[in-house]
Amino acid sequence: MSEYKTAIGIEVHCELKTNSKMFVDSINNYGGMANVNINEIDFALPGTLPSVNEYGIMLGLKAALALNCTINKKVIFDRKNYFYPDLPKGYQITQARNPIGVNGYIEIEIDGEKRKIGIHDIHIEEDTCKSTHAETKSYLDFNRNGVPLIEIVSEPDMKNEKEAMAYLEKLKEILLYTNVSDCKMEEGSMRCDVNVSVSKTEELGVRTETKNIGSISSVGRAIVAERNRQIQEIEQGNTIVEETRRFDEKQNRTILMRIKETGNDYRYFPEPDIPPYILEDKLINQVKESMEILPDRRREIYRNAGIQPINIEKIIANQEISNYLLDFSGNLVIASNLLLGEISAYLNKTGKKLAETTLSKEKFTHLVEKLDKKEINNQIFKEIVETIMETEEDLDKIVDAKKQDEIGEQELNKIIETIVLSNQESIEDYKQGKDRAVKYLMGQIMKETKGKANPVIANKLLMQKLNEQ
Amino acid sequence: MEKLTKEEVLHVAHLAKIKVEDCEIEKYQVELKQLLDDVDKIKEIEVENEELLVTPVEHETILRNDFNTRKVEFNELKKNVPVTNGNFVEVPVMVNE
Repeated sequence: MSEYKTAIGIEVHCELKTNSKMFVDSINNYGGMANVNINEIDFALPGTLPSVNEYGIMLGLKAALALNCTINKKVIFDRKNYFYPDLPKGYQITQARNPIGVNGYIEIEIDGEKRKIGIHDIHIEEDTCKSTHAETKSYLDFNRNGVPLIEIVSEPDMKNEKEAMAYLEKLKEILLYTNVSDCKMEEGSMRCDVNVSVSKTEELGVRTETKNIGSISSVGRAIVAERNRQIQEIEQGNTIVEETRRFDEKQNRTILMRIKETGNDYRYFPEPDIPPYILEDKLINQVKESMEILPDRRREIYRNAGIQPINIEKIIANQEISNYLLDFSGNLVIASNLLLGEISAYLNKTGKKLAETTLSKEKFTHLVEKLDKKEINNQIFKEIVETIMETEEDLDKIVDAKKQDEIGEQELNKIIETIVLSNQESIEDYKQGKDRAVKYLMGQIMKETKGKANPVIANKLLMQKLNEQ
Repeated sequence: MEKLTKEEVLHVAHLAKIKVEDCEIEKYQVELKQLLDDVDKIKEIEVENEELLVTPVEHETILRNDFNTRKVEFNELKKNVPVTNGNFVEVPVMVNE
């Protein structure tokens, strides 16, 4: 079976984070009560005309630039005609002839090897309304009708499911970091159609399209299932036909769908109700210059600062932390350890966001300095993290109070000596390599000092004492 | 080609969602062919070096501010809808697979 080469191309639809719809001036918000964010243009009542959302164009342009595309400066829309209840106009406004971006790429990395995956084009269009099917009736909610979308069409450059998943992860990351889309696959704001073909020669085989796959990992499984199906068909002497399929998660196989209309039947022609719009160079440069720093550039910055690769990926996965670090000018290694360690633990525990705590940029910078100068250690920080995150109290005062509270080293040593001498059994356990002896003794120390011992110092002194025995 | 095939006529009728009676098919086979011939004549015009004309309007599109929104209540809009069910528009089931 391995002599077959697989070619994979992916089409991704992403909803744009706008306030209003793409060609209708109703609100872009769905998921609540049906048919509330609509007006007569959504229903395509006679005489209604489209209007183009400026911010939708800007987000499309931004995405095209972030995906390294050449920009088509003349923005023209086309009608894609089909007759279906989810589209009252009878056509979808899209960009068939002149997509806003062409010839782009995304760089992916698999096992340390980098590869560019081509992007054929990215175009702006509108979503259809949401339909829910019952036995004999379908129910339509037009809140989704006209929601701005971009469709990103890759070249058939991916060779296996690993590359396809890496491509999607990367694409999602870029669109999230540029605030183009919230890319929630589970809510349908990012949807994937996958084209798969197999061939024994250099020429591409006949492809099938598997539509609307619900998650990136499902894309991986759908590709494997569809590749295996195609190879099996060919081995049995059958030919593959161009068709639309869907992925059944439970059965782990792709299933043939009935096809609505295809290719020429869409009768594309330029949308006469929307005159062309010219993107001036000045505007393109403005969008370029104001673009957020992209994830790969951030990885480079963190790598150069000496942050470990595993932590870099954790930072990239958390946009708030990533943005926080980007503005920070002190020791990035300590700062990232703090943010990913105790601060993340605190945020997870309380369900808060960084911005909802009292940790100001100044306080954070000061904190990192203190850790850098070893004025406090991680253990102490762990104990004062709540005070830091929840009060406006001065950091120096918090730290001083903590230190004053601690029992001095001499006094602590005496207490430890007494505890060790009165626990001979634990000393024996320790000598036999039983870890719990140390834990037990530490517990005794904390009990005796009512928690006022610095655990790091106490542990150090205890180990010294034990090894003297 | 003198006329369209029967299948071509039925395909066009399907795309247009028009019911065509058997006795009408032959008439359309001829009429649609005449239409296509007329289109072929238009195709003879050389346009390769001409820019695509999207609209005869010479002005650029005026873009709309993302925050200018307008809504119309469903109660008002549904007056034009044949069947509704609660807040939904109801249509015969759409089979897609």
